[in-house]
Amino acid sequence: MSKKTKAIAHRRSCKAQGTGLSHYILMDKKAKK
Amino acid sequence: MSSTFNSQTHVAAPSRGRYVNSGNGPAFAPVDIGHPAYMALVQADTAFWALIRKNKLAEALSSPAFIRAFRREEKKFAREMHTLRFGLKPSAVYFNPTEKCNLNCRYCYIPAAMRRNGEHMSAMQVLRALALLKKYFRATLPSGSLPQIVFHGAEPMLNREAVFAGIERYAGDFRFGVQTNGTLLDDRAIAFLTGHGVGIGLSLDGPKPQIADRTRQSWDGHGVFAQVKEAMTKLAGYPGYNVICTVTSENMRHLTSMVEFLHAMKAPACMLNIVRCTLPPARKVRPDDASAAGYFLAALKRSNELYRRTGRKLVVANFANIVVSIVAPAARRLMCDISPCGGGRCFFALAPNGDIFPCSEFIGLDHFTGGNLFRDPMDKILESAAFKEVTGRLVENIEPCRHCAIRHFCGAPCPAEAHEVNGGMDRIGSFCEFYEEQVRYAFRIVADGREDEYLWDNWKNGTTPTFHLRGVLN
Repeated sequence: MSKKTKAIAHRRSCKAQGTGLSHYILMDKKAKK
Repeated sequence: MSSTFNSQTHVAAPSRGRYVNSGNGPAFAPVDIGHPAYMALVQADTAFWALIRKNKLAEALSSPAFIRAFRREEKKFAREMHTLRFGLKPSAVYFNPTEKCNLNCRYCYIPAAMRRNGEHMSAMQVLRALALLKKYFRATLPSGSLPQIVFHGAEPMLNREAVFAGIERYAGDFRFGVQTNGTLLDDRAIAFLTGHGVGIGLSLDGPKPQIADRTRQSWDGHGVFAQVKEAMTKLAGYPGYNVICTVTSENMRHLTSMVEFLHAMKAPACMLNIVRCTLPPARKVRPDDASAAGYFLAALKRSNELYRRTGRKLVVANFANIVVSIVAPAARRLMCDISPCGGGRCFFALAPNGDIFPCSEFIGLDHFTGGNLFRDPMDKILESAAFKEVTGRLVENIEPCRHCAIRHFCGAPCPAEAHEVNGGMDRIGSFCEFYEEQVRYAFRIVADGREDEYLWDNWKNGTTPTFHLRGVLN
């Protein structure tokens, strides 16, 4: 394998908490001013 | 229900799995992402990917080091996907406090007769429903974890006194949101909602009335662009506010100017959701799949240009979710683009009469009622045949998705649409290229190291890096 071969691969993990559907945006935990 | 990952494959055949795409070797599908320098290799079941320089693709596919790097993490990735797909519990409710709406939008998934002549829940019914939901979530979610209630519609602000009573009574028990058409958000309502930290989603389909009012009108045919714009002006600066634009044949050519408008109005986030064609009227404004994808990507590009020029982001949340599904699969927030979708397993929808559906999209389809909150135990509802039909919809049983390398970045939405438009849960929904092109675009920005520019701030919070490969392979 050539030393010039370039590959990019990365991944992050977390506790899955997906809750939203497309009818509403759930981006922030809290929206207090 | 089972995961597609089967650890038995490693003992079922004597192959040591040293070679890609044969024996017990990993199945890496090359995917043309449209990047000048990179192609993707995707192991679909684990949502593993690597971007490889095009002129090094063959060498990567025969690289023992590359295969070993994947093998070391394969089971962990498979477990992560299994948990995401089959291990979550409901933590959100789409709560319809009224059947009525003051608008008659052309694509609404709630039947017109219900929206025109329906009933409100009483304040007492809203409070009773919240009490039952609180009790259910107390028993099922970890302590300290706040479930989410999104007042949805129809138009929830038509029944705002009942909604506000619920928010006040249960402020410490739920995180609340309201999805509204914005026409009834007077100063008192805005003060109440922002003062209680309630998320506010507005709906608007264009940057000017001539476009927005084509699909969103009152019952007597009047557009409501001006009212929604006024609400947006008042909400500027509130971090929990966002706008949903439904992409149809009527507005897809204007998505770029829509993004410019939303950015100018200081909206922090939006969704450019392709119309769901669940009910027949929506199919009349169904956009061409490939054309919609083209206009959508142009809008994304414009949102990024605006960010680079001004330093202020307009997050296109439905696309951001696809980017996250690639770089941190378990961190996704929206659960339409994973299979099974979140309907009936991560969230459910409550109709004003107490009936529970897997998702708002099914309200109006009586066959999908799982039970009634006021009469039936939630556990029984979640195990009902109606819910199982939705939660059992697997991308592996759908053509052509079961062969598709990007099936876990798309999820083949949406079950309601597939069932109503194409005749079954083992069918696709109405769109394919729209999602395919988003995934390809997402890979391109990952290849260029620019994914943060499209994601919400602090998206990495709570995540840890579990895999990293960059540079030389040997």
